[in-house]
Amino acid sequence: MAEPLDALRLPVVPVEPRQSFAAELLRRIQRAGPDARDSATVRYFTHDLDRAEAFYRRLGFEVELRSSPGFAMMYRGDLRLLLSTPASHALVDGTLPEPGGWNRISLRVDDFDEVVERLREDGVGFRSDPSAGVGVRLAVIEDPAGNPVELFEPQAGYHERTGGATS
Amino acid sequence: MSSVQVRYIVNDVDAAIAFYTEHLAFHEDMHPAPTFAMLSRGDLRLVLSAPGGPNSGGGSTLADGRTPEPGGWNRFAVQVEDLDDVASQLRRAGVWFRSEVIEGVGGRQAIIEDPSGNPIELFQPIRPEARLSEP
Repeated sequence: MAEPLDALRLPVVPVEPRQSFAAELLRRIQRAGPDARDSATVRYFTHDLDRAEAFYRRLGFEVELRSSPGFAMMYRGDLRLLLSTPASHALVDGTLPEPGGWNRISLRVDDFDEVVERLREDGVGFRSDPSAGVGVRLAVIEDPAGNPVELFEPQAGYHERTGGATS
Repeated sequence: MSSVQVRYIVNDVDAAIAFYTEHLAFHEDMHPAPTFAMLSRGDLRLVLSAPGGPNSGGGSTLADGRTPEPGGWNRFAVQVEDLDDVASQLRRAGVWFRSEVIEGVGGRQAIIEDPSGNPIELFQPIRPEARLSEP
């Protein structure tokens, strides 16, 4: 007859630690936390997913999925960045999306000068040099496909909505 | 608190505020100057900049003379539970659709445009891993 306490008398079997499993579990738990419901999604187009992935890793993004040759999903905090190749998103009339434009994600960095210097050393292209905006310093860099990415650091007068309903 | 920020260039900040608040449930956080506004929706903060304004920060003309402009294909996505329903509501409201409904790998999507021609993706997940934790 099995009793619950019998389990304690079973021989102890050593288990190989699986760090990747633990890390994945931690990530899932954290992502499923109270903040998870608020994640926001942005899609960028790129011709070369490998180069894009390497570029965005440098900015602190992590790969979540590479589920097809034309698609990658990356995360940086609550930002989910979808990278798609143009061919996978042709419109009915044959029009293909393309990288570029001026609309962009805007990433907060708290060590702005250091980040800018490091990116320049790495040969990253700057569309606009560091400048003063309203309550921020900002610069716009370009990913390998020419998509803009804004980096900003809060300055005096910086505003952010705090608390309250976010609907 | 919004922790993801996206900047869109718009020709008419007031028209954009009306569009995003009326059709997509954004909240107007501030509109301190005619050329700039900050909106939010859940964790997404959308900053709107008019191109080329004086001291306009994100919309400023570059040193080489290039001026930011609306448009392009990069966009943020708004998750919806019933794309067909939302799409028909928006069509009735006169919103412009750049694309018909596209059936993708992780979901179905349609692209609408704001008054300046910036794309917004309406996204209905059809696979669990494509879903944000909550709409």
